[in-house]
Amino acid sequence: MAATTWEDSVKSLKGVILDMCGVLYDAGEDGGSPIPGSVEAVKRLKASDLQLRFCTNETQATREVFVAELQRMGFDISVCEVFSPAPAAVAVLKERGLRPHLLVYNGVLPEFDSVEKTNPNCVVIGDAAEKFSYRNLNDAFRVLIALEKPVLFSLGRGKYYKEDDGLKLDVGVYMKALEYACDVEAEVIGKPDPMFFQKVLDDMGIQSHQTLMIGDDLVNDVGGAQHCGMKGVQVRTGKYRPSDEKHPTVTADGYVDNLSEAVETILKLRGQ
Amino acid sequence: MATRRALKAVLIDLSGTLHVEDTAVPGAQDALNRLRQSSVAVKFVTNTTKECKRNLVERLHSLNFDIQEQEIFTSLTAARSLVEQRQLRPLLLVADSALEDFSGLETSEPNAVVIGLAPDHFNYQTLNKAFRLVLDGAPLIAIHKARYYKTKDGLALGPGPFVTGLEYSTDCQATVVGKPEGTFFLEALRDIGCCPEEAIMIGDDARDDVGGAQNIGMLGIVVRTGKYRVGDEGKINPPPYLTCDSFTQAVDHILQHIL
Repeated sequence: MAATTWEDSVKSLKGVILDMCGVLYDAGEDGGSPIPGSVEAVKRLKASDLQLRFCTNETQATREVFVAELQRMGFDISVCEVFSPAPAAVAVLKERGLRPHLLVYNGVLPEFDSVEKTNPNCVVIGDAAEKFSYRNLNDAFRVLIALEKPVLFSLGRGKYYKEDDGLKLDVGVYMKALEYACDVEAEVIGKPDPMFFQKVLDDMGIQSHQTLMIGDDLVNDVGGAQHCGMKGVQVRTGKYRPSDEKHPTVTADGYVDNLSEAVETILKLRGQ
Repeated sequence: MATRRALKAVLIDLSGTLHVEDTAVPGAQDALNRLRQSSVAVKFVTNTTKECKRNLVERLHSLNFDIQEQEIFTSLTAARSLVEQRQLRPLLLVADSALEDFSGLETSEPNAVVIGLAPDHFNYQTLNKAFRLVLDGAPLIAIHKARYYKTKDGLALGPGPFVTGLEYSTDCQATVVGKPEGTFFLEALRDIGCCPEEAIMIGDDARDDVGGAQNIGMLGIVVRTGKYRVGDEGKINPPPYLTCDSFTQAVDHILQHIL
């Protein structure tokens, strides 16, 4: 039943948005490795008449570094096609004249080079991993609690993710911690925020109903995209779990074994 | 609201109410002595999780407070009894200085997480370890959920934010044993042998001291010392029975208007 929904809409598609980690590659110690068939699948999409963009909540590296890593794996991808939370946050900060105190991974700091940071009047947190120490969190807390109206931005709101050596707490946990400490609600930048998806649609110049999102995160990728009026398909790679197909609130428009299968289906139905 | 009866007991918070770190709140020692000369029983209830009871008493004595160890009821005591009751082997995320109150407990191959205020342990690796245990089904026991506390150089995060983060990541609810839990106050009142309607709580935390106490039928007085920030009394409903500038003023009020 679900499968036909998205396959029926394939002919009217004008663009595809791909999640990255868990769809294109699996994370790992040495930067990760491509998921079999994904390099070829991206190549085929690019050669088609569909627009293609990439959308990630990755906040541990600048887009330049991150994209170079994917190119090393063989992906045909360029920086301008990738949407990640840090540049989106920079745009919001500038628009609202905010000066952030940053609690982010060192690798992503250069994204914030152009932003004024003295005398901070808001806090931005990303997945800072080892930098999530008591001291660093306390520094962020003190900035917030000293503000008349604390403003907290969180780059994504994930609970945890998987690495080679086990599950690791993600940024959402520390976002919750600061929310609780300061009695404030964070503004989430990145998936599943509709504004974030809208930027990608604007860049392609197409409408949401003409767009398909493919991801491994049922709630943030698929649910987030559906909320904006796109179709959302989940791949059975990355953080996918069989229980996702029985999720109480989010049902994907389709499930495929991997990106390769999704692209094969799309192109076949479009007669390419 | 239940009918009030004659006052039998006063529960008093320590940190922020009688002292801030190593400095006594001016006049607090004398006020405590005056209160002791009245007919009410006095007990000290604290969410201080960094220190074992022995350290607490030593500090209070050095600040010239007349307080005995058996008069103090802490959230660590409450956590220990819960762990013993349920025969758990806890991973103890508490400050090293608090470990004494858990001595003798089996902690190898942990099947529970006890989380207090442990700045030295609140790092990415240890929190990941606690997270994995809880995700695998280990109960999460929080000594308390205070948002922040006051130190000499400003406000600092309490255990509450870390407990909340772990709850979010694992979709589970922590069992909280310290203030503002009703069971904590009831346990503290038990050996005095009085009911909540016969007791009053004095503290600097509107929510955890006063809100918690008032929820079970006690009266609560907020003092504007320690972590108190302007407007705190408006954060709880019903509002505090009374807000005073300091512990001294709270004692004066009790002696003149309640007794």
